[in-house]
Amino acid sequence: MKSINKMTQAEIAAYVQSHLREKGITVVLSGGACVSIYTANKYISADIDLIDVYSVARNKIKTAMEEIGFNEKNRYFVHPDTKHIVEFPPGPLSVGEESVTQIKEIKLATGILSVISPTDCVKDRLAAYYFWNDQQSLAQALLVAKHNRINLTDIKKWSQASGNIKGFGIFLKKCSSKKKSRLR
Amino acid sequence: MLEPLLGSKGSEKVLIFIVARDEGYAREISQFFDMDISTAQNQLDKLELGGILVSHTKGRTRIYTFNPRYPFLKELTQLLIKALSFYPENEREKLVMNRRRPRRRGKVL
Repeated sequence: MKSINKMTQAEIAAYVQSHLREKGITVVLSGGACVSIYTANKYISADIDLIDVYSVARNKIKTAMEEIGFNEKNRYFVHPDTKHIVEFPPGPLSVGEESVTQIKEIKLATGILSVISPTDCVKDRLAAYYFWNDQQSLAQALLVAKHNRINLTDIKKWSQASGNIKGFGIFLKKCSSKKKSRLR
Repeated sequence: MLEPLLGSKGSEKVLIFIVARDEGYAREISQFFDMDISTAQNQLDKLELGGILVSHTKGRTRIYTFNPRYPFLKELTQLLIKALSFYPENEREKLVMNRRRPRRRGKVL
């Protein structure tokens, strides 16, 4: 097993997830780290957001994290050998009002990484763009769309259901101008 | 009213305030309900950690709003709006009928 200071962000996430899985704690990677993974680090996020799917007691997570050298600091977990910080946002695992059901599993040297799909990652970023007009999130959604096969029909349906079809139109226009996304 | 469900009166007051006014900060919520500011702040912190609220700063004030990404937001706000309708009329009016339009600085009323 690699030492933590030599692990990539995805490898750390897989390592932490595998350890927690052994303790009966199910977490799924979401947030900015997914953008990093799906864009081959075109976007860099130091955070590792692991969604606590079944709302496990905080103390149980804290104890398990301490076993692998992560200590809690201001609700984050830090390790002396890495700049990446781990956070456990509360569940449920969702994008807006919709629950996330499709989890992608990627086998890495440090364990199995459970991560939301590229399509849900785009929705997750678009949610921030729709609700707060956050242009950085739109740029990240476009990056993920450019580097991955995503289901634009599903994203359109989701956008429509949340009353954000106009925002989706802007995303789609910018997507098409890049001519790299593939519509399923 | 919703205390048995939400776990505390403080939590209910904070949520009722925000559903009525769309946003709020610890000092104004505590002053409105005549509660301790630390109680209001603790509830705001708890609700933010739970993903129900989000916050941003304006000057030196941390302002809290509902998290639009919270998956049960629609259902929660419906419940709170209904609860608000059961509040005493004078309290409900004070919550809802606050001045929101701009007022020029130094304007004499």
